[in-house]
Parts: sequence; C-alpha cells; structure tokens
Amino acid sequence: MLKTPFMVAITLVIAFAGGIWSVLAALDATTGLAAIRIGPWEAFPLAQTVKADPYARAHRARDGRLLYASAEGLTFTARTDASNAPLDAACTYRLTGLAPAARFWTLYTRPANANPDRPEGLNSRMILREIDGSFAIDVSARARPGNWLALPASERFVLVFTLFDTPVASSTGVSDIPMPELTKLECAHG
Amino acid sequence: MARLIHAIVTGLIGAALLHLVIVFALPQFTGGDAYSRVLALGPAGRFHLLDRQGPAEPLVPDDPFVQASVCAYDLTASPRIVTASGDPAFWSFAVFDKRANEIFSLSDRSIETGRLDAILATPAQAARLRKADPGLMGRVILVETTGSEGYAVLRSLAPHASLEPEALGFLKSARCDPFAQR
Repeated sequence: MLKTPFMVAITLVIAFAGGIWSVLAALDATTGLAAIRIGPWEAFPLAQTVKADPYARAHRARDGRLLYASAEGLTFTARTDASNAPLDAACTYRLTGLAPAARFWTLYTRPANANPDRPEGLNSRMILREIDGSFAIDVSARARPGNWLALPASERFVLVFTLFDTPVASSTGVSDIPMPELTKLECAHG
Repeated sequence: MARLIHAIVTGLIGAALLHLVIVFALPQFTGGDAYSRVLALGPAGRFHLLDRQGPAEPLVPDDPFVQASVCAYDLTASPRIVTASGDPAFWSFAVFDKRANEIFSLSDRSIETGRLDAILATPAQAARLRKADPGLMGRVILVETTGSEGYAVLRSLAPHASLEPEALGFLKSARCDPFAQR
C-alpha cells in the first residue's frame, strides 16, 4: 500500500528538482533569447529594455549588473573562436579586422588577469592600426609584439568587446556589421 | 511499471510548468537585482561612485576603462534634478526603473555644453513642470519616468590612465538633488 505515496514522491521530486535545476542551467547558459550573433560574437541589445524576454529579465534580476542603455553602448562577448572551439587561456588568439562604427570600443577578458603589470584591456585609442584602419590584436598569456591583450590564469575565459555610442545598438539590421575575426594561432599544450 | 512511467511523465510535465513559473516569478524575488544592490550602497537621492576597491560588486563596471556612479531616486515627494559637469573623453547617462528597464539614455554627443542637467519627473509632475515653466524644456532635459522609483547611472570613460582624473572628476561632480519649483 506504500506504492501510491512512493509514486507521488517520485513525481514531486522530478518536478521540483527538474524545474529548479533547468531554470538555473538556462540562466547560467545564456543571457536571454534575443541575441544577435556575428561569428563568435554575441550581443543582447534588448536585455535592458521593457521588451526583454522573460529569460533576459530573470537573468538580469539575478545577475544584478548595471547594463548599458541603448545610447551608451553595446557589449559583445565571445566564448568561442571562429571555429567554435571554446576559448582556452593556454592558446594564443589573433583578432583581426575592423570594428563597427562607434566613438570608442574596449576589449578585455572576463575574468581579468590579476597581474597589475600586464595590460588589463585595450581600447580603440591605444592600439596600433594598419593604414586602412584595420587592426590585429594578439590575445595571449605570453607577451607579444604589436597589440597584446594579456590572458588570465584561468583555463576558460570570455572576450568582451564593448562599443560606446554606436549606431549598432539602435539598428535592427545587424547582419552587415563588421566584427573583427577571432582565430586561434597556437596552443601551449597539445 | 506503467505506474512508474506515469509518475515520471507527470513529474516532467510538472518540472516544465515549474520552470516557466520560476522564470516569470524570479525577477520579483531574487533580492540581487540591480535596484536592490543600488539601494544597499547607501542613502537614496545621491550619487555613489562605484569604487573598484569597494564592496559594490557586481555593480562595479568590469571594463577597466569605465567608471560609473549611481543614484537611486524616489520621486514621491518631488522631482529630482541630476547635474554633472566636466570634460571626460566620453560620458553617458541612463535612467532605469526599479525593474531595471531602460527609461532614458543619452551620450555626451547629444549635449554640446559638456554639462548635464536632467530633471527626473513622473508624468504628472512633468506635466505640471511644463505648465509652470514652458521654457524649461529648452534649458534642461526632462525625463519622464514610468514609476516613482528607480536608479540613474552616470558613466565616464578614460582611454588612458592620464585621463582618469577627468573621468573621475565628472562623476564626483554629479548630484541628484530634489528639484524645487518656484
């Protein structure tokens, strides 16, 4: 006669554990549903607005960050390189190309590298460029000639590319935005 | 066996329903949302500089070139006027409601004087202000909020370490005072 309570218990455990776990997993995996993707770069231009989807609202309420409003800037993040391999701090990456139209852009890693002697981030005012305005930035744990962004000691990292005062944030047709390409050069381990 | 499958399927349906309920209800219950964190910084009605050495994570900008200051507003008693002046390489201003929805934002390109004067008012207060002083809109930016509570964010950018005093000076000049109408 214990069968029915046992079945009810199974149902409840699956419902509660599954429900809670799936929400936490979903919120950790993504910032929202309405992402714009350009190569490995991902941005959520509506995440701070009333039009944000329920997942974006839940994410920002739990995360508690101050998001950039549309006239301020737009943040792109990359978790993978151009070939969809996750970013690894043991590797050297090269970021090449042009940035979208913006007054400024900044580039840094999350988590930041803890060494105060190393460049914490780069911005559009400090980098060296080619004559046509394009640039190449090496992202590596070891110092590199030219434009160099130092990597944190952690294995996994996220590249954050923020455009300030950009028409991209308010435009709807985002497919033709030029974003710099992120290619893997080499890795310290096999 | 059939009863076990029945129990599991019912459980999965329940999990899916609970998933939706939690996602929709979560924003009201986290306690870790931006507005709660801003209120925890200190008294409302004044700007708090988000110091990198301070305990204000995760409000503190993780961009190494960006500084930010934030003020929680409550317009129940009166409208508030946000002022700041200075000459950083770039600054921006944004107003959010208590649910962290953007209400208004601008960058320094929209203002030629290098000085921010913005009045935060509820729609009723804004209508009264316009009626009392029709020329007001020419001198200040009138931001109509959706509710009476929320927060305003000022950001400034220093592309080089040598420009950081200007970026910080702009934020330190920021005020978020009650606006008294004469």
